[in-house]
Amino acid sequence: MSSLNTESHIEPAPLQLGTLEQCTLVDLTELPRVGFRGQQSAEYLQARGFTLPDAPNRAVTQADGSHVARLSQTEYLILGSLQDRGERIADEQARWELDHSANYLLPREDSHAWLQLSGVCIAEVMAKLCGVDLRCAAFPPGAVAQTSAARINVIVINLGSKGQAAFQILFDRASLEYFKDAVLDAMAEFDGQVLEIEALQ
Amino acid sequence: MSRLPAPMGLLIDRNQPLDFSFDGKPYQGLAGDSIASALLANGRFLLSRSFKYHRPRGPLTMAGQDANTLVQLQSEPNVLADSHLLESGVQVTGQNFNGSLDNDNDAYLGKFSKFMPVGFYYRSFYKPKGAWKLWEPIIRKKAGLGVLDLKFQPEYYDKAYLFADLAVIGAGPAGLQAALTAANAGAKVLLIEQQPVLGGSLTYARFDLEGNRAQTLRRELVDAVEGHANIRVLKKATCNAWFTDNYLPVIQNKRMYKVRATQCLIASGSFDQPVIFRNNDLPGVMLTSAAQRLMKLYAVKPGKRAVVLTGNDDGYLAALDLHDQGVEVAALVDMRNNPADRALLLALERRGIVCHLGSTVFEALHEKGMRHVSGADIRKITGLGQVASSGLVLDCDLLCMSGGYMPVYQLLCQAGGKLAYDDQLAEFTLSGLPKNLTVAGSAHGYHALDNVLADAIHAAAEIVVALNLELTSKPLATRPEAQVNFPWPIFPHPKGKDFVDFDEDLQVRDIINATKIGYRDIQLVKRYSTVGMGPSQGRHSALPTARLVAACTQRGISETGVTTARPPFEAEKLAHVAGRAFDPYRQTPMHKRHMDAGAKMMPAGIWQRPAYYGKASERDACMQAEALHVRNKVGIIDVSTLGGLDVRGPDAAELLNRLYTFAFLKQPIGRSRYALMTNEHGVVIDDGVCARFGENHFYVTATTSGVDRIYQQMLKWNAQWRLNVDIANVTAAISAVNVAGPDSRKVLEKVCQDLDLSAEGFPYLGVRQGTVAGIKTRLLRVGFVGELGYEIHVPARHALKLWDALMQAGQAFDIRPFGVEAQRLLRLEKGHVIISQDTDGMTHPAEIDMGWAVSRTKPFFVGRRSVDILEAQPQKRKLVGFTLPRVSPRPLEGHLVLSGADISGNVTSCEYSQSLDKIIGLAYAAFDQSQPGQQIPIRVEDGVIVHATVVKLPFFDPENQRQEH
Repeated sequence: MSSLNTESHIEPAPLQLGTLEQCTLVDLTELPRVGFRGQQSAEYLQARGFTLPDAPNRAVTQADGSHVARLSQTEYLILGSLQDRGERIADEQARWELDHSANYLLPREDSHAWLQLSGVCIAEVMAKLCGVDLRCAAFPPGAVAQTSAARINVIVINLGSKGQAAFQILFDRASLEYFKDAVLDAMAEFDGQVLEIEALQ
Repeated sequence: MSRLPAPMGLLIDRNQPLDFSFDGKPYQGLAGDSIASALLANGRFLLSRSFKYHRPRGPLTMAGQDANTLVQLQSEPNVLADSHLLESGVQVTGQNFNGSLDNDNDAYLGKFSKFMPVGFYYRSFYKPKGAWKLWEPIIRKKAGLGVLDLKFQPEYYDKAYLFADLAVIGAGPAGLQAALTAANAGAKVLLIEQQPVLGGSLTYARFDLEGNRAQTLRRELVDAVEGHANIRVLKKATCNAWFTDNYLPVIQNKRMYKVRATQCLIASGSFDQPVIFRNNDLPGVMLTSAAQRLMKLYAVKPGKRAVVLTGNDDGYLAALDLHDQGVEVAALVDMRNNPADRALLLALERRGIVCHLGSTVFEALHEKGMRHVSGADIRKITGLGQVASSGLVLDCDLLCMSGGYMPVYQLLCQAGGKLAYDDQLAEFTLSGLPKNLTVAGSAHGYHALDNVLADAIHAAAEIVVALNLELTSKPLATRPEAQVNFPWPIFPHPKGKDFVDFDEDLQVRDIINATKIGYRDIQLVKRYSTVGMGPSQGRHSALPTARLVAACTQRGISETGVTTARPPFEAEKLAHVAGRAFDPYRQTPMHKRHMDAGAKMMPAGIWQRPAYYGKASERDACMQAEALHVRNKVGIIDVSTLGGLDVRGPDAAELLNRLYTFAFLKQPIGRSRYALMTNEHGVVIDDGVCARFGENHFYVTATTSGVDRIYQQMLKWNAQWRLNVDIANVTAAISAVNVAGPDSRKVLEKVCQDLDLSAEGFPYLGVRQGTVAGIKTRLLRVGFVGELGYEIHVPARHALKLWDALMQAGQAFDIRPFGVEAQRLLRLEKGHVIISQDTDGMTHPAEIDMGWAVSRTKPFFVGRRSVDILEAQPQKRKLVGFTLPRVSPRPLEGHLVLSGADISGNVTSCEYSQSLDKIIGLAYAAFDQSQPGQQIPIRVEDGVIVHATVVKLPFFDPENQRQEH
């Protein structure tokens, strides 16, 4: 992980988090998301109207509420917006075809589950699962951590604002039940609650 | 039960009485009491029996730093009664006694101590030959402390990371002041304190004649700390180790915090040290700090008539505390000739307390049964450890002692700090700490309160600078201060029982004898004598042992040193180390369907897979029925766990051509090819198929447990080759099912309309992209189980829909799911190997008859050179198929194949085949045993030898007509 403190984050519009309790968990696995990787991915995505982070391990929120996280020099992860239920991103996945350009689609909706953890205690919750300092001072909005939590690989993206923390956590889809249980267990002492995706609309 | 009036009793709530029992007798304590303080408040001093001689013991430190208060709770042995919080209704008992705690039948052992010197175990019980067998059960019966509760139910323990700019270990005056100074400068501070209240020595010690300063200063510091937004306080928390880069395991209740601190300040204070004289272990003999803790923390009067033995001015202040609380101080005995502060002497004299200077207690006296101290034999000191032949005997029921202080050096030494002995000050000093670790306060050798505070500010200032923050406090200068350690507080008695190590019942002569036997090194003395190996881990024995060994070996104390202080600092439970275990598992999208169908699950790597469908007691029948169903009708198996890798780009074929043994450059689009991978040593490490869906696109399968390794291999090799290719691990993203059996085509035809599924249109080893049940799929015609079959690969989110559609479509053909066990039997009938089950860390392609899967024409693949070398050697073993009659004992995996008296191989797979009505299996055998028709002896259960017949593979459908149909 690098550049956690790079201040190139475009302040996102406040997420609709429903209630801002100690911590809430929402399963966004059904929301579309996709990845692209390759030397020409940046060019391709910019042509498709996306604003890209200028460094790896940074994320920016798009005008339509979708988010682009840069995972390496040439890899991007795009998270669908609640505003259109991810339709734009689903379309992006559908329209892509393998050609001779170095831009390869990665089926992130199928490979990765997606949980949103929000609330005032989420850094403490994650500290029970993960060895990376995810407190706001060390992991500000727009930061991305590719690390391990509860012994599986995770991508954590802070898409909250300074006063409204929200981590998007992406991990192996086949481990959804396992990891969700681990997060809920960690949330228990903070009176964490589970919200349905509809609560975010 | 009477208690001292407030402000004594900082920890207790006088309005909350708690009932409890000790050794079956009811007692009452107060909320906030420790078990020991509650018992002492009731006049009960004898809490335990010593480890070796079963001597009666009472509290020594009242701070959980010694073994004298080990007691048994209902479900937990070896609980430190002086630090364990009293709970209502708790049933406490003594431990390590024979009979009763008050009348221990084993107490006579002390009379035989001359015959049980250190190391007597090693020297006494092994002669004559075989004697140990006689002694061992007797010694084992006597050994061990406490009783385990074997019905104990595991409790929830967990771990959490904590991050801080600065971690301060110890919230005494130094820790509090340093935390405040750093926090005021903007640092985020984590303050860790073992006790339930902040203040350290300010909570119990006296620092001035009037006795006001500690309380006032504590209130000021604690109020400021607890109200500070930048300070997080952990009370009742123990930092149990220091690891590189300030990685600190901190135990609080049932959690272990893994603290990551940029800076660490250790303000752990120092341990009050006992004086060594005869019977210094009797109940009623305690450290002066213990007596002060009893009064100030618990409002317990430690005795009626006290003698205070000291080597520093703090003993005078303790005597004033005792006097103020109504304890008659019979005498203050100062080992020095004069106190550093004469005003203290005058203050005591004004109160009528007699001071004996240049004197010591030579022996603590007792009544019959030794249940409490009853007096002190006071002698003039005449030399190093020498006393006058006669002296003064004073009656007392409390004997307080303070020989000086030892820095709490454990964490500092774990960090690499070096201890050196200052002969002038008679104390250890520390140096050589790593970067970002600092020490302050009495652990740093400052004992005067103003110096402690000044040192704390100084240490915090350095930390603030290192954190790139701006200091807001002014530094204070330290001043010279009085010596606190008496150089030789050791007064051996001709009759012994002058204890150096209370935990292990080690007397002065035990340490001396260890050196006389030849153990000069302090580490060897420790191991031979067991000094410092008890629960207190040398907190009180390290300093006198170093002094004794140094004197006996004519060396300096610095040269002698102390034993290594290893983690943990204090006893920790395995539950803390284990914490909340994380055991990842993976489930396929069809998991619920399997469970609903009664699947018995089994692990495959971290995946959960159906082994078979049915009761565990009917495993064989279920598996055989499933296999037969596939042979006769149609079955469906969830193969989502199969590894999947998308290899895309102009160099995709080139990459595979280099990685796998077969040739892939000219592989046609729409076809799959078996793919065998070897490592650089020519050893087979994985297999799968490479399905070519486009000029630049291969979909590669790998074994369930091997795919992560293969993915890493691909990335590693391509980091060197820099081919123009993208490699994506899509194992979780793409789920798959295998529909297999004579009716599988009919099932598929019902849900797939856009593909020609005929044998000609979609032949064996063909691959297609089409639509199944409205889902875009990749289809592979494969034959792992030896039947007409289709692997259907879909995006994971659609897998459940696919499964349901196929089950629905298959109803007319009596489709049923089958599990891994049936699949393994079916593939065994076909003689297909499973990499890592039928191969090992030495297997090369020729040994498993896979020479056909190795291209001899291409110039390179990983492992090529090694394969060539191995194949040029005479082959030593081969994987062969074997059969046995149905009624024969069935070999199990791992059973040995013999060649004369030698082992020539082992069984790798074996099962009864209903289709063949035989036991069939695969086994490694010597090459000269591998011809079909030969007999191989296999040693099965109970050493029985069965003679299996080697046969040509496959066992079933040798013409492959079924799968290629």
